[in-house]
Amino acid sequence: MPLLKDGRLVGEDAFQPVADDAALPESGAVLVTYARWQAEKEQLSGRNDPLGIVLPNTLDVLDFGAEAERFDLIVLTFPKFSDGRAYSQARLLRERFGYRGELRATGHVLQDQLWAMQRSGFDAFEIPRDDAAEAFAKAISTFSHVYQPTGDGRVSALKQRLAIQNKDGRRKQEAAE
Amino acid sequence: MYEYDDIDQTLVDERVAQFRDQVARRLSGEISEDEFKPLRLQNGLYLQLHAYMLRIAIPYGTLSSRQLRGLAQIGCTYDRGWGHFTTRQNLQYNWIKLEETADALADLAKIQMHAIQTSGNCIRNTTTDQFAGAAHDEIEDPRVWCEIIRQWSTFHPEFSFLPRKFKIAVTGSPNDRAAVRVHDIGLRMHKNAAGEIGFEVIVGGGLGRTPFIGKTIRDFLPKQDLLSYLEAILRVYNQFGRRDNLYKARIKILVHEIGIEAMREKVEAEFAASKDGALKLPQDAIDQIAAQFAPPAFEKLSGISAEYANAFRTDFEFGLWARRNTFKHKQPGYSIVTISLKKEGAPPGDASAEQMNAVADIADRYSFGEIRVTHEQNLVLAHVKQSDLPAVFKALKAYDLATPNVGLASDIIACPGLDYCALANARSIPIAQQIALRFKNWERAHDIGELKIKISGCINACGHHHVGHIGILGVDKAGEEFYQITLGGAADEQAAIGDLIGPALNTRDAVDAIDTLVETYLRLRNSSDERFLDTYRRVGLAPFKEAVYAVA
Amino acid sequence: MAKAPKLNSQPQVVTANHLLSGDVVYLTKAASWSRRIADAAVVANVEAGAALLAEAETQAKKNIVIAPYLIPVDASVTPPKPIQYREVLRAEGPSTEKARPAA
Ligand code: HEM
Ligand code: SF4
Repeated sequence: MPLLKDGRLVGEDAFQPVADDAALPESGAVLVTYARWQAEKEQLSGRNDPLGIVLPNTLDVLDFGAEAERFDLIVLTFPKFSDGRAYSQARLLRERFGYRGELRATGHVLQDQLWAMQRSGFDAFEIPRDDAAEAFAKAISTFSHVYQPTGDGRVSALKQRLAIQNKDGRRKQEAAE
Repeated sequence: MYEYDDIDQTLVDERVAQFRDQVARRLSGEISEDEFKPLRLQNGLYLQLHAYMLRIAIPYGTLSSRQLRGLAQIGCTYDRGWGHFTTRQNLQYNWIKLEETADALADLAKIQMHAIQTSGNCIRNTTTDQFAGAAHDEIEDPRVWCEIIRQWSTFHPEFSFLPRKFKIAVTGSPNDRAAVRVHDIGLRMHKNAAGEIGFEVIVGGGLGRTPFIGKTIRDFLPKQDLLSYLEAILRVYNQFGRRDNLYKARIKILVHEIGIEAMREKVEAEFAASKDGALKLPQDAIDQIAAQFAPPAFEKLSGISAEYANAFRTDFEFGLWARRNTFKHKQPGYSIVTISLKKEGAPPGDASAEQMNAVADIADRYSFGEIRVTHEQNLVLAHVKQSDLPAVFKALKAYDLATPNVGLASDIIACPGLDYCALANARSIPIAQQIALRFKNWERAHDIGELKIKISGCINACGHHHVGHIGILGVDKAGEEFYQITLGGAADEQAAIGDLIGPALNTRDAVDAIDTLVETYLRLRNSSDERFLDTYRRVGLAPFKEAVYAVA
Repeated sequence: MAKAPKLNSQPQVVTANHLLSGDVVYLTKAASWSRRIADAAVVANVEAGAALLAEAETQAKKNIVIAPYLIPVDASVTPPKPIQYREVLRAEGPSTEKARPAA
């Protein structure tokens, strides 16, 4: 499955997914489930290599957020593109818990949703198509403005207009002086 | 009125381009119907029984004359020369072609309009009081807040795939004309003890299969916190609303299942964590939007205009119309005019392109070029000088737009029903037409007084039947169209869900039953001041039920 | 919504909506689509109905129509008349527009 990170195709996923009943490899970056993390916290915390976790979209991230920092990769799932729970999870992880690692979308990830995913804080996507990078580039450039603030730092229309008004105001004031 | 700036215009134009591309990808087979359907729905394009239907957002029901003329033009170019105004203050075109939709949307964008989020499981067009900015009983113009909500909710990245559709309504008046208690979120502006204006926030109302009256989640919300609070509610709903069953996915079910206290706890916790964040509204941002809704340049008038008083005395028809179809304005010497789209026997809410153009002209001449759409499927001229009322009456009458029946038995709300809708069990429009004809006699209709009849063709309740004084619901009984009747519903500040009177009736019996119900009311009422609803509340279901089913 | 009941050996036709125009269409004997139910291929047993539907679904995959399905009809009249009133309305158009001048 093509993996896109920061808009570019990543040849090889650095993280090795490990099934719940499989033994953990000695070393190397691994991706484990939330269930396994719950059961083997101590052992997993003891590893020196990067750690990734897959969260179910039914998880209340308020119960997990405090631990987010511990991870290098958090994978959120879209069982169906129309199931939008992971958007809220993503924003909470980024904006409430300050998670800075990789935030990856997996599952039914379609071109027309990439824009919303990116705005919600995702920076990596598993997209089942060969032209994933082009599709992504097109999707995220669809709209030149945003109406609402999210953690992506873009300035909302409301605040953009205020800035213009204030600048105009200053200019007028200067002209008057 | 709100005018788009470059930002709004760019976004709407980009949306059209995006949809054009999506249609092309659908036609090329790159995306399947399953994947395309939510995309077209988010642009208001439904597949109905006979054709595609395009639903246009009329933000908070406000239109300029230029926009209304544009809608008439689009109706001629892409449809059959008319449009249908809905209970959601939207406009629907019933005969649109997929291949032409992007062009229609591009034409709409030219008049600062769109079909964004008029369908799909996202935040829909925010609705409000059709008399906003004009009504004498208003605390503050709610459209300012609707516009702020419009911008915040448009392309909201977190809330584009909610468990189900989400509808917000705002009232700025204690007399609720926006049915805020039957919306997912209702906002009622009021003053607190300190004299500040803020919102009562009501959550979990809704109609459909399981109707609920919304519950108050917060008594008073300061204005600057509005968006943070809405986002908190939506975030809780997005994560915890049910997704396993379409009929249990609305927020009303979440509120019902976990209880309003638990809901409040979650929302308040979320709000506490985010309230001082980027969504907090600076006063100058509010002012900037509010400036766009500044009142028009009213003349200073005093006393009753002689033309008006004279016409009232001498022209009987005019008097009838003025009494029924005008409402008190906050500005002395002005009135609010409701244009009835309910001429008895016509499909409720339909307007031809010719009528739309006429209304646009009349609005330009007499009402600062502004038109409103009501959730009762009528139009409104918000600011008419009383001295102009006789001329407005005459002009409207020439286009069959002066039926003096606002709020009366023939002012019926009806959903499209089985004549158009793929989900329907039965037709709504023909039964509305037949009932309206029974009340064509103005003497009888005015004697009966206020009576709200609302008709839906299936349990989805697009025609608000649950909150009709008389509600009519189409059902399918062994392959035949039948109708269930409910009594005692109300959508205003004393919102109530109607009670079922008994077994469903076939079309003819249902129409007769409405007559019987009205006759029963006339017999039972204490005085002509007691409305149908009041009588019903006083005497209860039994006498009505008896009267309808006794004949058999 | 009253969807088509399970059909047995009774006259039936396949209907759908045309993808581009949204129009109500019926599958014809020549495996094309017509806006008139008079042109519909009428079959009278389960197997033939299934075959007709299979053909229609192939065409749906080719993005010609959306969501085809079988409906029962009364074939003793010309043109065949759907049994369900929902389908009568689909075949004839909205009852409310009869009075309206066609544009
Ligand atoms: C013609 C195509 C239409 C379709 C397919 C449709 C579909 C639906 C569905 C499925 C629901 C139930 C939602 C739920 O309970 O979760 C609903 C509710 C509703 N619709 Fe429609 N509708 C249509 C037209 C209209 C029209 C024309 C109006 C306005 C006149 C309208 C206004 C509403 C309202 C007010 C509700 C109920 C309030 C609520 O959201 O609980 N709809 N619609
Ligand atoms: S109430 Fe039912 S029949 Fe009427 S428009 Fe809504 S979904 Fe269609």
